[in-house]
Amino acid sequence: MTTRYLRQQKFWLIVAGAFVLLFSLSFVSPVTAHPPAQETEKYCLSCHGDKTLSMTLPSGEVLSLYVAQDDINHSAHSSVGIECEACHNNISEYPHPAIKYQNKRELSLAYYQTCEKCHSTNYEKSKDSMHAKSAEAGNLNAPVCTDCHGAHDVQSPNQPRSLISETCAKCHAEIVETYKQSVHGAALMKDENTDVPVCTTCHGVHNIQDPRTNQFRVAEPELCAGCHADPKLMGKYGLSADVYSIYKRSWHGVDVSVYKAKWPTIWHDSAVCADCHGVHDIRSTDDAASKVNPANLLSTCQKCHPSAGPNWTGAWTGHNQISLERTPFLYYVEQFYSSFAPFVLWACIIYVILQIIRATVDRVRRNVQ
Amino acid sequence: MSGKRTNPSQTARFAQERLFLRFTLRQRWEHAILLLSGLVLLLTGLPQKYREFSLSQDLLSTPDRVNLIRQIHHIAAIILALEVVYHIVRIIVLLVRRKLPGDLLPTWQDVRDAGQMLRYLLFLRKDKPKFGRYNFEQKVTYWFVFFSIAIMGISGFIIWFPVQFTQFLPGGVVPASKLAHSTESMVLAIFIIIWHVYHVHIERMNLSMFTGRVSEDEMREFHAKEYDRLVAGETSSSAQTGEEK
Repeated sequence: MTTRYLRQQKFWLIVAGAFVLLFSLSFVSPVTAHPPAQETEKYCLSCHGDKTLSMTLPSGEVLSLYVAQDDINHSAHSSVGIECEACHNNISEYPHPAIKYQNKRELSLAYYQTCEKCHSTNYEKSKDSMHAKSAEAGNLNAPVCTDCHGAHDVQSPNQPRSLISETCAKCHAEIVETYKQSVHGAALMKDENTDVPVCTTCHGVHNIQDPRTNQFRVAEPELCAGCHADPKLMGKYGLSADVYSIYKRSWHGVDVSVYKAKWPTIWHDSAVCADCHGVHDIRSTDDAASKVNPANLLSTCQKCHPSAGPNWTGAWTGHNQISLERTPFLYYVEQFYSSFAPFVLWACIIYVILQIIRATVDRVRRNVQ
Repeated sequence: MSGKRTNPSQTARFAQERLFLRFTLRQRWEHAILLLSGLVLLLTGLPQKYREFSLSQDLLSTPDRVNLIRQIHHIAAIILALEVVYHIVRIIVLLVRRKLPGDLLPTWQDVRDAGQMLRYLLFLRKDKPKFGRYNFEQKVTYWFVFFSIAIMGISGFIIWFPVQFTQFLPGGVVPASKLAHSTESMVLAIFIIIWHVYHVHIERMNLSMFTGRVSEDEMREFHAKEYDRLVAGETSSSAQTGEEK
């Protein structure tokens, strides 16, 4: 009786224990259950962690073979378990196969192609870019993935946001310097403003196109309108969101929209936003250095209208709705026609209808008699 | 507005129907030039005003076509401007010679006529009022077109030569002219299509502006006062070859 009781107790103890064990498993996530296998990283760094490790390429360039542990630790890849051999897929044993590259650039140009394995969409896009075209034309320095993103230290490209512009500045330093002085660039550099455009906002990211083409020019107002026609965004900065819709009705804007729709590849003379406001050097209208500051406006107009006199700038309605204060002539003309045009229309219609009725009635009466 | 009138009896073609000379050849030519240049201006102006319409875009299919249509518009504008200059010079010449007929000048009688016509149209009056050589409808037509052409001509030349005009005019006149030119053209087109076309083609087929002549019946019905005056003049001096007034 006692032994039987003890055996029964033991059985339930085992059942409870198994249950607790099973239950506890559900608290353990698979990641911690299977930590990333960093063996190759550790293994490779056992040699490549040596700062003095280097070799001389046939070109005479000294190629450092050192990989900093710090770079690896901060890279976007290492933290998710992507190891050395993911990119260095031609190396699987020691001693390594002989390096066949003549110089450092040749090596970079060979290795960046492994990016396609995982990032095929962006890789394909970049093949359609201005940079790829430059490379096709024989420019060995045309940037490839790693030139912008880095290699061992590859990181999120927009943390912080100003990093994007800094990345472009590696080659386009002068333009980025101009941009930093602009109303957009200054706001970005000041407090990492997320509303202002950075290089990639206008130029695109991977499939960056040549901004000097007629197609780019004719589509440019819409590019600016992406932000400047957004009332919520513009309201935040006390700017008018009507600038684009008013531009589209203007002499310049009508011309541009027709060219965009019908002849995007043909050059047109009508001004687009950048022609007056500048490109990388866009400044606030109140800024004395702005091309469209009242003090500089005439000389900006004269770029296209060379013989324009001082009264000329008054012809510009300045992206503003018609108002008595700003555009009195336009205001009175609009006021006049807003009543005169419907008056003429209705007076004509009513008078003619009355005549038709009377003439018909007279005719019927004559016929009846 | 100029008008020599030959003896109505000389223009009669049929014994049973007398024809009255209403418009001189000179006036008919003026009207023809006005009609044709105006039509060309309207047809070349519309696709420029409504460029977003697909029909306009078919017409303006290349940048060269846009330039061509602008050139046609400008040539038609010059022709119309020359016609306006001729018209005004002719008025001045007749004025100096004291031969300008005043038939087209608006008078208080026209206001009374309009009131009576309105009463007739509203069945408050049995008969139409009796009109003179030009009734108030025709005077409205002349002066409406006159001032429309003045507005369109001035604003048109301003937007054709904005740089030159702003040398002495404030810049604000340029966008104002653009709006005025564009809107006035539509107002005038509506006026011509509804008012003028109804009166000369639908109310009755009045081709006197092309033939120059109206029948005795029409004179009696539509220009009774003028008819009475002419007939009275004939009886008083049967050999009148009347210069008007």
